[in-house]
Amino acid sequence: MVRSVISMKALWHSEVHNEQKWAANMKLVRALGVFAGGIFFMRNYDCLPLLLLSLLIAECASRPLYTLPSLAKAGTKKPLQTSRPFNVAHRGANGEFPEETAPAYMRAIEEGADFIESDILSTKDGVLICHHDVNLDDTTDVADHKEFADRKRTYEVQGMNMTGFFTVDFTVEELTTLGAKQRYPFRDQQYNGKFPIITLDEYIAIALDAPRVVGIYPEIKNPVFINQQVKWADGKKFEDKIVATLKKYGYKGSYMSKDWLKQPIFIQSFAATSLVYISNMTDSPKVFLIDDVTILTEDTNKTYNEITSDKYLDYIKPYVVGIGPWKDTIVPVSNNRLTTPTDLVARAHSRNLQVHPYTYRNENQFLHSGFHQDAYLEYDYWINKIGVDGLFTDFTGSLHNFQELTSPLPKLQ
Amino acid sequence: MRCLPLIWLFLLTACAGRTLYPLPGKGGKGAKLPIQTSRPYNIAHRGSNGEIPEETAPAYLRAIEEGADFIETDVLSTKDGVLICFHDFTLQNTTNVASHKEFADRNRTYEVQGSNMTGFFTFDFTLKELKKLRTKQRFSFRNQQYNGKYPIITFEEFITIARDAPRVVGIYPEIKNPVLMNQHVKWPGGVRFEDKVVETLKKYGYGGSYLSKKWLKRPLFIQSFAPSSLVYISNLIDSPKVLLIDDVTVLTEDTNQTYAEITSDVYFNYIKQYVVGIGPWKDTVVPVSNNYTQAPTDLVKRAHAHNLKVHPYTYRNENEFLHLNFSQDPYKEYEYWINEIGVDGLFTDFTGSLHNYQEWTSPLSETSKSPRQLLSQIAALVLPYEKA
Repeated sequence: MVRSVISMKALWHSEVHNEQKWAANMKLVRALGVFAGGIFFMRNYDCLPLLLLSLLIAECASRPLYTLPSLAKAGTKKPLQTSRPFNVAHRGANGEFPEETAPAYMRAIEEGADFIESDILSTKDGVLICHHDVNLDDTTDVADHKEFADRKRTYEVQGMNMTGFFTVDFTVEELTTLGAKQRYPFRDQQYNGKFPIITLDEYIAIALDAPRVVGIYPEIKNPVFINQQVKWADGKKFEDKIVATLKKYGYKGSYMSKDWLKQPIFIQSFAATSLVYISNMTDSPKVFLIDDVTILTEDTNKTYNEITSDKYLDYIKPYVVGIGPWKDTIVPVSNNRLTTPTDLVARAHSRNLQVHPYTYRNENQFLHSGFHQDAYLEYDYWINKIGVDGLFTDFTGSLHNFQELTSPLPKLQ
Repeated sequence: MRCLPLIWLFLLTACAGRTLYPLPGKGGKGAKLPIQTSRPYNIAHRGSNGEIPEETAPAYLRAIEEGADFIETDVLSTKDGVLICFHDFTLQNTTNVASHKEFADRNRTYEVQGSNMTGFFTFDFTLKELKKLRTKQRFSFRNQQYNGKYPIITFEEFITIARDAPRVVGIYPEIKNPVLMNQHVKWPGGVRFEDKVVETLKKYGYGGSYLSKKWLKRPLFIQSFAPSSLVYISNLIDSPKVLLIDDVTVLTEDTNQTYAEITSDVYFNYIKQYVVGIGPWKDTVVPVSNNYTQAPTDLVKRAHAHNLKVHPYTYRNENEFLHLNFSQDPYKEYEYWINEIGVDGLFTDFTGSLHNYQEWTSPLSETSKSPRQLLSQIAALVLPYEKA
């Protein structure tokens, strides 16, 4: 008796609580309902049995009883690699496509990115979008849109006056009428004007829809400026909105936890206060970005020396899992030659903080001499000599190639 | 008998003065790592000139260090008939000649291949004068720190660099602008520019048909844009020769033939008696439109059908030279040309990058094994199955 109750409970559990089984069972129930209704109909209205048969067939044929192959269980996706430095697709594969567009991210996933990276800003109506600059001039065709000519404004951003078309002056509907363009003239111009700006939701969807586990790496961008210009109805701040969206899509779990490995994420920002602010809202790992030696932090006006001091690293350590410095500050450059590395990486590593420098680019104007115009030699230096834990690169495919050639992942048995 | 101690002393001194074994630096010929012949040749175009001024000793030494199979050079002549390694027939783009006031009057105008050219011509300078100049990096976007440091070298100095390498390194000299050289430089006895090049090669023991034992000891390809020069020397030396082919709009400097003519099947049938291969400009092998490569022509297929090797020029790492479908990645370009087009050698400005690519994707240890290695491999496989 007891056994049958337990087995009944187990049956109930497996048939009702399992999402896919439940869906299949619901279809069965619906088919039965049609069957019963058909019989009732027949008895009262003298319809042919054929009608019943056709109803049954129609019902069963219209919906498959098996799950669609593309929606196979998450557990069958190839997992994120964690045995070699992370390949972080900086703004997507923007060496080839305009930055932060859907194709740029999809190409990055195709090329083997571990993480796709994005900058989050806001529209006038508080919608979170993927865009790097606070203004639209360098990366969209806004200048060609006569209807927006009057939106050209001047704002003070991080202490400097900037003139242009700002994202915070456009609704999301207006923004999506613009076409993204390639920022650098020496990169492929053929996709200019073809792809729109995407929202944070769309960016997340691209990652979740990938055929293997791909992490996201969103940046809380210019939070001081955004919070000044955009007010959300519920009194929430920019940072709150970002976290809410991430949670909505199930992003949670500390670094390397089971939840995190299913949906990997790093939340990055140049504003330490934003990272501290969200530390109670989400346990997802955070990374503190560090700009050039001459730049002050946008929220606390601190110098480079201050935020890379032992004291500050000890302070920030409980809130972040790593830092993301500009690579020329880790290894200073003189006359386009690399000089002796600083001890920043050593001090970060001694505090168990990861180091993910930015940004690696293939073009020779970005490669310091000593690398012989060869981006792979730069990867070799940073991965094998300096020992970084992740790299923000504009050329996902090249980094992936290098890693596959020199440190291939063990083949699955 | 009194002489004995003297003789003894003499013998002792004689033996102590000279080692009885060869110096380690000059190991036996057989001890040098041989040239690889199992994957496309890495030809250091003008040496490793990505960083060091082209055709200088350091550029060639660096190329050998970086793994070049062949070091390539262009041979021209001085006023006094000495063969030098230099690409342009004028000096201003790659040397500091303009800052040498004593040579200011050498700025001349000559007709070259139908058009007038002005500059400091190599054949207006003796070797002694040329050696006063210092080379500089041709491209402004490459490393300028070696400008003014290194002199032009002679063809013989170039050969010595190859010969002194710690492993077998081949040379790939070009009979450059032979029509112009023969016009302006006269050697005694009616000897021509081509004769002088071959004479120098023979002096250093070069010879032997492609892949012969003699050739493997001192690998050599002689290249030229002038087919008649290659035909002319065909009786003088049996070393393998390669016909260079310029862009589709350029006529051959000696026979005024068009690209279409010298790449026709008829012409291949003719020239293959004299050359082992062709060296085309890569954008003619695979045409380019809007900076994207298009469908390849059938040039490589037809050359291979005639048993002609294909060594295109020139591969460079800088993004302005990389067509957009290679994502600014020279390794992607190497992959395309080696695996999809199937070329037999590549002239590259970046020896190290090509070597890296080849070592990672087709390491020699896997492609060429000595018989002994193979035997030990087989033994290792068979061992577990031996009868107990």
